[in-house]
Amino acid sequence: MNVLRSEWLKVVSVRTTWALLGAMILIEGLAAGLLTGLADVDDLRTRDVASLIIGTKLAIVFMFTLGALLSTNEFRHGTANSTFVVTPRRERVVAAKLAVGLVVGIAGALLYIAVNAGFGLAILSNRGIDVDADRAVDAYVGVGVGLVLGCIFGVALGALLRNQVLTVVTGMVIFLLAGTAALFIGSDVGRWFPGEALLALQGTPGTQDTLLSQTDGGLVLGAYCVVLGIAGMVMTRQREIT
Amino acid sequence: MPEITVERLTKRYGETLAVDDLSFTVEAGHVTGFLGPNGSGKSTTLRALLGLVRPTSGRALVMGKPFHELRNPVRKVGAALDAHDVHPGRSGRSHLRTLAAAAGLPDSRVDEVLEMTELTPARDRRVKGYSMGMRQRLALAAALLGDPKILMLDEPANGLDPQGMRWLRDILVALAAEGRAVLISSHVLSEVEQTVDSVVVIGAGRLVMQGTLAELIKGDRRPALVRSPRAADLRELLEAQGATVTLDGRPDAMLVQHASLEQIGTLAAAHGIPLFELTHEVSTLEDRFLELTGEGGNVR
Repeated sequence: MNVLRSEWLKVVSVRTTWALLGAMILIEGLAAGLLTGLADVDDLRTRDVASLIIGTKLAIVFMFTLGALLSTNEFRHGTANSTFVVTPRRERVVAAKLAVGLVVGIAGALLYIAVNAGFGLAILSNRGIDVDADRAVDAYVGVGVGLVLGCIFGVALGALLRNQVLTVVTGMVIFLLAGTAALFIGSDVGRWFPGEALLALQGTPGTQDTLLSQTDGGLVLGAYCVVLGIAGMVMTRQREIT
Repeated sequence: MPEITVERLTKRYGETLAVDDLSFTVEAGHVTGFLGPNGSGKSTTLRALLGLVRPTSGRALVMGKPFHELRNPVRKVGAALDAHDVHPGRSGRSHLRTLAAAAGLPDSRVDEVLEMTELTPARDRRVKGYSMGMRQRLALAAALLGDPKILMLDEPANGLDPQGMRWLRDILVALAAEGRAVLISSHVLSEVEQTVDSVVVIGAGRLVMQGTLAELIKGDRRPALVRSPRAADLRELLEAQGATVTLDGRPDAMLVQHASLEQIGTLAAAHGIPLFELTHEVSTLEDRFLELTGEGGNVR
């Protein structure tokens, strides 16, 4: 519990955390508001729920980056020295970071859904467009779980790579270019990539034939988090802090 | 039992031999200077003691155990490796709170160490606005959190102004007087010579000498500077005693080797020769240090 409390304090005591969360909310709020407010009504009717969750790719980058900073800040700013002197059982530190990543991810996902649904659904309803409630719930669950897993994925990848720039760039490539792997390599292989699994989990329109189902996408992305998280713990324990 | 035991420690990074068969001990109640040029293996040795790097061979023990086997290590060892190892966006107090939380220490202890290191007025300021001296104090505050028996500080005097040096000296001497073992590394002897009473000198990863500061000085073989209005007479007497005398360029001054200051003074007094000056150069101790460690030529 001590390590968990320490890691939580680390997250809440830097402005970057709040800046990233704030920027995500602002951008996603604007995206949802503008798209549902300005798009053609007929177009919105055909798109249905898809019009709400558009722009989620950016949100995942924010959440991934938050998670990545949780791990890589230790090495970027040299605090790994004191962290691992105080807690020599280093795998506990990584486990605590993963747990904090889960909490931050849930908080980010709830904020995202609140803002997105708050703006988007209100505007759509105001414009006389009915949204299929079941599909909306599915979409928001997928997007929410995706944001949580994205944050944990960042923590785990950061623990493994340690280098901040390398971790963030790797995350950008994985999540911003999601969909291209399936396109170029072929969906049989590409659908198993983490970015593609996330697209499936989010129920991205038009991907049903090429990608995994929503549930399988979530399971695959979750499996990536578990494997990377364990690898991060083992490597952090093994590697030297120089 | 010594508080710190380094036993035939060797650490290799690929082709580079950072520490080479190094052995020394550090006792409680002393401030021990861990001295050597940059790159001589001081930081690597401290990291091995703190369990951050694994020895290639040999042992680095704290209270007779490898660091990872210590129970509640914060209460036993306090360490400050680099004053820059702080997230610049955190306040000094927040930084300490994260460490205190991990160690299960209350926030009240954070405020105590802030007070001890005279950082209370700056405690809520972000560390990016701290001077180097303040960062050094913050690093020491972090090391003191668990009220440890052993302190290991890597170059704690680096970047301190004269007042800061004096403050550091006073606090470290006081901590050692309370029965703690204090090990401080430095590559500049003059930074710590008024603080330490024991020394461990290393060069190229190997032990050069371990002993007291007095023993380090005693080994001095540098010439003595002697000024006398009867320099020629004194020179004859000294040479008759087997000393080597070279002239300094000034008519009344000479450099004398193979005779101690005490021997020269006694000889002059016995023959009624007045002395205007009898001294080693001011930097003698530093020169002795450089002489022992190879003037930084050991950096690999």
